[in-house]
Amino acid sequence: MKKLLFILFIVVSVPAFSQNLTTLEYSMGFGTGDMGDFIDKPSFRGFTLDYRRLVQPNVGVGFEGGWNVFYSEESYAVYTQENVSLGGRQWRYQNQVPLLFAADYYFHPDETINPFVGLGIGTMYSRRNTDMGQYTLEEDAWHFALRPEVGVMYEVNPEFGFSLTGKYYYGFEAGDLKEPMSYFALNIGFVFK
Amino acid sequence: MIMETKSRSIIAMAMLVILLAGCYPQGPDYVEDLDVVITDYKPSYDFAAKGTYAIPNKIVKITGDVIEGDEPQFMPDVTATAILTQIEKNMTALGWQKVAYDNNPDVLLTPAAWETTTVIYWYDYWYWWYGGYYPYWGWGYPSYSTYTTGTLLMRMVDPDVLTADGLPVIQWVGAINGILSYSYNATRMNTAIDRTFAQSPYLKTN
Repeated sequence: MKKLLFILFIVVSVPAFSQNLTTLEYSMGFGTGDMGDFIDKPSFRGFTLDYRRLVQPNVGVGFEGGWNVFYSEESYAVYTQENVSLGGRQWRYQNQVPLLFAADYYFHPDETINPFVGLGIGTMYSRRNTDMGQYTLEEDAWHFALRPEVGVMYEVNPEFGFSLTGKYYYGFEAGDLKEPMSYFALNIGFVFK
Repeated sequence: MIMETKSRSIIAMAMLVILLAGCYPQGPDYVEDLDVVITDYKPSYDFAAKGTYAIPNKIVKITGDVIEGDEPQFMPDVTATAILTQIEKNMTALGWQKVAYDNNPDVLLTPAAWETTTVIYWYDYWYWWYGGYYPYWGWGYPSYSTYTTGTLLMRMVDPDVLTADGLPVIQWVGAINGILSYSYNATRMNTAIDRTFAQSPYLKTN
């Protein structure tokens, strides 16, 4: 918690470099681990919003918020637990909302093509719905979450560019969900400076 | 320039959110996709050692209050016969022989059904609060929709196995639940009945 407050302090107080980066990305998600077992189809519904304040020319700190919806329609199947069997089709939904403090390191901040790496830390909200018949089983959790990232920015002009990033979200076991929730996201977006 | 950049970013974000909200996954398209089949059984009961069953020729509807003196109501004969025929077909396939009720059957199979109707009622509820400030808005016309769900329950009891209170012990239960359509759909019902028995392979007799 102290570290989070320290990062927040840097974000709001360091005036040395006034330049900011606001990145809006379309996000495709690929579930891994338990989430991948629950929904094996990729998510094509998602976005992230990133804000970084450049505290050094090659270091940005800030925050990230996002949303990915995973969805699958299952064929008819029978689910058995002990003596009880339940047959039917399932519609599975999983909403992921990461809310993270984030820091990036830029390798070539003054060049047109600027690769970078980053790390996010914070929380991630998961809501899982399993719909069967007229009923839904809803499970949710607020996880402690980590998010490593690699990416590259392409500068079109000093105020605008494009981004391509790969992010891996890992939410530790929490709430109703008995396993960690994790997914990989491939994002493309716009960078506003 | 900074203001312009911020505006562009906000507009782009708003458009993306609207786009994503518009394509949120919508779920099932057909009413039969919502049919579910549930089965449960007593693993201690030796189904394989049994061989005969009796079944009534009507399907009772669970409605009203028979304890208060209401007469039991039954499903229309045409529908009940179709359902009973499909149940018997599955029992035969599992090796069971149908016998009359008074011919000492090993088990009794008792089907029953009930319906539940849900009404969704909607009106411009906010009018009570600020309608007075905008009197030309009015209450508007209320709208409502309904859907009726049906459940077919099949219970199997052994007349020789009773609780300490003298009540029958349910050895197997199969239930089918779905949204009712306007007319009886034999294919849909037969599929559900077949699935109920298919997911109960332990019912097979020697």
